[in-house]
Amino acid sequence: MDSRVITITSGKGGVGKTTTTANLGTALAMQGKKVVVLDGDIGLRNLDAVLGLENRIVYDLVDVVEGQCRLRQALIKDKRQPELYLLPAAQTRDKNAVNSIQMEQLCQQLRQEFDFVLIDSPAGIEQGFRNAIVGANEIVIVANPEMASVRDADRIIGLVEAAGKPEPRLILNRLRPEMVKRGDMMDVTDVLEVLGIELLGVIPEDEAIIVATNRGEPAVYDRRTRSGRGFMHASQRILGENIPLEDVVESTSLLERLRRLMGFGSALNEKPPVRSQTS
Amino acid sequence: MGVFEFMAGKKKPTPGEVAKERLKVVLAHDRLKLNPELLEIIREEILSVVSRRLAIDENQVQVNLSHEGGAEKLLANMPIRREKVTFEWDPPAYTPNNNVIHGTVHVDDSIDDLG
Repeated sequence: MDSRVITITSGKGGVGKTTTTANLGTALAMQGKKVVVLDGDIGLRNLDAVLGLENRIVYDLVDVVEGQCRLRQALIKDKRQPELYLLPAAQTRDKNAVNSIQMEQLCQQLRQEFDFVLIDSPAGIEQGFRNAIVGANEIVIVANPEMASVRDADRIIGLVEAAGKPEPRLILNRLRPEMVKRGDMMDVTDVLEVLGIELLGVIPEDEAIIVATNRGEPAVYDRRTRSGRGFMHASQRILGENIPLEDVVESTSLLERLRRLMGFGSALNEKPPVRSQTS
Repeated sequence: MGVFEFMAGKKKPTPGEVAKERLKVVLAHDRLKLNPELLEIIREEILSVVSRRLAIDENQVQVNLSHEGGAEKLLANMPIRREKVTFEWDPPAYTPNNNVIHGTVHVDDSIDDLG
């Protein structure tokens, strides 16, 4: 079985690794793939909550590795997708509870059962990160269009390359179209030019993500949300489909489109972008 | 520093453009593990070599890393002092051939004799 092990990582924390893992995993399962999402953030587990499975956990990843239970016992079946499973992280252990060899073996085991193994990497570049990438044959980097995140992403690209993995692909998360339009935020092309890797998807900043996480239902279920569409498109690209990039910057607000229709658009466009007060 | 493209023009960069330019510089440093001290040494060394032949305005010399088209670049910006562009002949260690011009070369607005 030529299953794919994809690690979702970022270097910097809080950029949306867990959200991305949950949404891509769900989206792939929705398209008929057999998927397991693995929470690699030992000690700070969250993937269970994003998927709404937090109260079903009995055994975790460390239990499996230490032989306290069988793999099957630790896998939690998703509420809605019959082909989606979660392997939760341990909450009361630390990152060094598992080593790289054990992690690689676990990935090998999971590959025999699933089409896709998605690994949610912890932030940072220490043991937890190394464990997360050791068994992967693909890497997805999540970054936000801001200095610290892109800088860390670049560092991760270097480490991934040094580990002998193929070139990672980028999910640019939390892009704010209005800010890009004003020139206050880097655009997709800016980040791609700086990082020099292939783009897998662009996810606009969206309140729907918080609502979805509050409910424990990934945003990808709701096609009306722009973040949900973004994740669905990214998952389709993972499956090899050629999905054109949705122009999130231009298709921003209804108000904007109305203005353009009514002829105020040209005047607005000629306005110079807002400049910063200090350089 | 770091927003060279905009220094010459009157156009002020947007915050997005500033971020991109700053990132290019910081990533060029990160990737090569080049710290400011080493860059300063490189600057001094380039300056000392070039100064043997050209009068360089030392205060305006800029040596920076840049990232363009997927490759790292070292950019040295060394303005030449216009008033006295003078080339002092620095005799080489070996005995030059007869066909090599001896003496001092002045390249000035008011050209002196090329002795």
